[in-house]
Amino acid sequence: MAGRGTAQRPNGAGAAGKICQFKLVLLGESAVGKSSLVLRFVKGQFHEYQESTIGAAFLTQTVCLDDLTVKFEIWDTAGQERYHSLAPMYYRGAQAAIVVYDITTQDTFSRAKTWVKELQRQASPNIVIALAGNKADLANGRMVEFDEAQAYSEENGLLFMETSAKTAMNVNDIFLAIAKKLPKNDQAGGGAVGQGGSGSRRLDEGGAGSQGSTGKCCK
Amino acid sequence: MEFFPLGNAELGIRTFLTSVHANDQCGSDGLPLTPNSIKVFGRFQQLKDITHPNLCRYVDIARGKHERLIVVQEHYKTSLATEANSGIYSCISTVIRLAYQILQGIDHLNRQGLVHRCLSPKAILIDGVGCAKLTNFGLYTMTDYGTSVDFPIGSPSYLAPEVLASGRLPATLQLLSSPKTDVWSLGVILLELLLGIELWSKLNMASMLKQVICLLQSHEPVQDIAHSHGVLEKLKNVPSSLLDLLTKCLTVKANSRPYPSDLLQHPVFAEEQLAKVPSINGLHLFTGKLRCRKLELPPVNDLLAEGEEAEDMPTDYLAERGMDEVYYLWSLAGGDLENELSKRGMIKKKPPIFMQPNVVLQNGEPFGQEAHRSNTLDETVVCLSLDTLKDRLKEVHPSIYFPLLEELKPVLPMSPSMSDLSATATLPLIIREKDIEYQLHRVVLFKRLLEGYPYKRSQIWREARVDIPPLVRPYVWATLLDIEGDVRACYDAIDKRTATATDRQIEVDIPRCHQYNELLSSPESHGKFKRVLKAWVISHPQYVYWQGLDSLCASFIYLNFNDEALAYACMTNFINKYLHKFFMKDNAAVIQEYLAVFSHMIAFHDPDVSNHLDTIGFIPELYAIPWFLTMYAHVFPLHKIFHLWDTLLLGDSSLPLFIGVAILKQLRTNLLSFGFNECILVFSDLPEIDMEKCVQASIHFFRSTPKSATFRQHARPKTKGEKSGEGRALYTKDALPLADSEGERCAPVSARDLFEPWCGSRPPRPPPADPPPARSTIQHPARPGALPVLVIDVRLSEDYLRGTVPGAVNIPFASAFSPDGGLVSSSAVSQLYAHRGRLVVVVGNRGNHAAQFAGELVAIGFSKVCVLHNGLDALKSTGLMSVPRPEI
Ligand SMILES: Nc1nc2c(ncn2[C@@H]2O[C@H](COP(=O)(O)OP(=O)(O)OP(=O)(O)O)[C@@H](O)[C@H]2O)c(=O)[nH]1
Ligand SMILES: [Mg+2]
Repeated sequence: MAGRGTAQRPNGAGAAGKICQFKLVLLGESAVGKSSLVLRFVKGQFHEYQESTIGAAFLTQTVCLDDLTVKFEIWDTAGQERYHSLAPMYYRGAQAAIVVYDITTQDTFSRAKTWVKELQRQASPNIVIALAGNKADLANGRMVEFDEAQAYSEENGLLFMETSAKTAMNVNDIFLAIAKKLPKNDQAGGGAVGQGGSGSRRLDEGGAGSQGSTGKCCK
Repeated sequence: MEFFPLGNAELGIRTFLTSVHANDQCGSDGLPLTPNSIKVFGRFQQLKDITHPNLCRYVDIARGKHERLIVVQEHYKTSLATEANSGIYSCISTVIRLAYQILQGIDHLNRQGLVHRCLSPKAILIDGVGCAKLTNFGLYTMTDYGTSVDFPIGSPSYLAPEVLASGRLPATLQLLSSPKTDVWSLGVILLELLLGIELWSKLNMASMLKQVICLLQSHEPVQDIAHSHGVLEKLKNVPSSLLDLLTKCLTVKANSRPYPSDLLQHPVFAEEQLAKVPSINGLHLFTGKLRCRKLELPPVNDLLAEGEEAEDMPTDYLAERGMDEVYYLWSLAGGDLENELSKRGMIKKKPPIFMQPNVVLQNGEPFGQEAHRSNTLDETVVCLSLDTLKDRLKEVHPSIYFPLLEELKPVLPMSPSMSDLSATATLPLIIREKDIEYQLHRVVLFKRLLEGYPYKRSQIWREARVDIPPLVRPYVWATLLDIEGDVRACYDAIDKRTATATDRQIEVDIPRCHQYNELLSSPESHGKFKRVLKAWVISHPQYVYWQGLDSLCASFIYLNFNDEALAYACMTNFINKYLHKFFMKDNAAVIQEYLAVFSHMIAFHDPDVSNHLDTIGFIPELYAIPWFLTMYAHVFPLHKIFHLWDTLLLGDSSLPLFIGVAILKQLRTNLLSFGFNECILVFSDLPEIDMEKCVQASIHFFRSTPKSATFRQHARPKTKGEKSGEGRALYTKDALPLADSEGERCAPVSARDLFEPWCGSRPPRPPPADPPPARSTIQHPARPGALPVLVIDVRLSEDYLRGTVPGAVNIPFASAFSPDGGLVSSSAVSQLYAHRGRLVVVVGNRGNHAAQFAGELVAIGFSKVCVLHNGLDALKSTGLMSVPRPEI
């Protein structure tokens, strides 16, 4: 599909402040629950008939880390293989990625590995990648073993959790773990990659970043 | 579309409750189970298409609270239960005719794969002319053979022994009933009629079953039953052929019992078979059936006689209308099914506080709740009163029922109350859709026109431009999409079963597609989705399945729920018309071009929004792909898609671009004040869009845009009839390399669009499309002066003075702008400012000065700016250029 442009807004000024803004992208096979995870994280909801994603969807959410507020700009992408050509537009310049698979389908795990490879090759070198084994509530139908996924994650330096958008298990936690792992100083981050792709961005409080979604803080 | 007038029938409603899933019950996917009421709702739909002179038509189903369903069906107040003792059936031949009619009804059901399964005297209605009409025949089928409800189906004394025997098993474990079960019931019914008693009325099920089983040993079961009821002598007058029929019906062993179709051949029906009239050829749109092969016109004399009679007979015109229409109007007149039931005390409304349980376990299981569900079936039928409707329509002039189609400019019929039908036509759509009289008028008119399709095609287009009544939308859309021929045969020929690589994707997409809708979330609908999508993918090898096709398919499935073939045909034609090449495996170039043209159109119609979005880097790629790939079906709920597509279907493949512009226009205040994040959030969760305004605006944009500005290389090539003659190369935009137009702010237009509006000698026009009048009723302006144009020649003044487009003014690019980006004033610039808001075409040489100049104009807020494609060089040899008049 159309592959030009990049989903990165031009960077704001790097003035010192308390909000860190990060771009995070969700990747993974269709119907593994990417949109559901985002919806759970951002709105605390679960829709059993969550609509499929075409192209990509965008949402934001804020988490608190000690004295720091981390604001995620979340790009939720379409899972169908055909939309693959769009993906770089979304992960270019992203500081974090969650690669999602469905623990009840082996194929989605293989697909997740492919995504991880692609990110390691083509995304920002310092990108924080998390692997999410979603639909953990369906333990009866498990096809991907926890240990297998964990071993894989360790080999590749990924954060790993099994999650459930349905029961909310580990959903906030995985975002929080990412927030913790992200470098918070200006020099760090994927500064070298893509147009406009640079490290975390600090904004003045009440500045351009404080619309709509009310920040939800962790304790 | 078939037409079944209400006649002297009534509309009756029945209600029942489906079983409720336990609170915490989930499917294997961890998601809640589909409610039974939704299942039944979906399974019901097929029943609406069952039409036979001996079957009552199903009209509608509605879901109420607490898993309640309400079914609307053709109804008559008299039934065999009320008439059995009236004496009519003491005449043997009447009984035989009745039996024949019942069998014909059952046989028709069997042919559709249905079994009645609750045949009883109550389920046999007698219409005004004494003809038997079976009712409630869909209960068994729609409840998924009784598995979706808690109550048993059928009344015990009429049930076949094999059904009774499995009676204690839960419905899910029972065998499916065969058509032979109805034959037993018929036997019991007929025997009761002849004996004048109710059989087994005093026995419980067990003893009844015992008696029935004992008949296995009997050589003369009929006589034995009569004997056991002490009425043997009543059989004396029954002719032996009828006794034989009864004996066959009351065969205890289902294996040896004949099928209804066998019984229709029984000698007892010899006379009936002779008298049987073939059913009339109904009107079937979109089939290969010949409409009038067997049509026999009544002799002229009869017609005349009828006409005379009609003179002094006040006719109930409403009764002449289709049942579906009358019901539709009844609902518009404020009819509410649940309300009808509460009025009869069939639904007891209690304040919610009384419905609260005393204790709720952690898993959600309630205790101490007053039972408000009953496990038995209430067989009451409530008739809908048409009085309110009739009252509302009493002023309607008869001519509304019989519109004339042949007048060139249709004049709306005048009626005392509604000399203002034409005034209604100008009211907001939502009001028009609720106006009974207006809808009556529109539906009648459209039905007439549809009957004349394809000959009445152009008139359908014309009327559809006013509005499309929801009741006839499925057919009107099909005609607007030019569906013709035998769609069923085409569809049936496609392999929809063989597994393919896209099956997984289709399967995970369907349960996420417009599932808020009760019809589309039913399992029945999921099956249809799957078949139609698979059929499309398989029969279009040049295309592949892209996520989004499911949304595109949804409205066609919804509208043509009982006609998959038509849904498929509509979807195919729709994609061909609006989404040519979009579903190619590699569609990057196609989408890119589409979005580039979209950007041009934003700049053309709303430079401010275009400038702002450009500045913040908010490109269409980020938000508009789902818009265009699904023609907005992924972004709006069904009821909005209907109104949007009602208009979309009247335009060409560029109209969707203007819909996009109209959406941006509606959100513009927000967009202009928002940064990147807020903007994209707006589109991730699109706010309420006023569809009617949006549609109006898009038509306006469409009309005020030169046709060639939306030229796309990847658009569907015009069909033969549309090709223009000589001069084409000069006047149309040839395929331009994408890189040319991409990245530029303004749309290039062809020389033809430049000259047409005002040029005295018009370039040759393409011959009118064949068949005659315009197919596309929303048209770009072609009339001289419709688009006043200011042509700006940006070349050096020497070049300009040597020859330019007639009427062009000269603003040489090199000296046009001051360092701050504003225009340096001159008389030409004043002319430009005076012209603001109207079409500006910037012309230059082949270089990109013209495009740059145009871009600058947009940047300072000029709308309707385009660039002459290929520059003036292309015009030099044509003699269309002239030396500008010297300024005085
Ligand atoms: N049981 C269970 N179902 C889930 C869970 N997460 C998502 N689902 C269901 O899985 C289906 C797919 O979820 P989506 O969130 O639409 O998946 P997606 O990855 O965004 O899919 P695409 O948009 O097609 O790429 C939906 O029906 C969800 O309700 C979960 O944690 N448990
Ligand atoms: Mg999604």
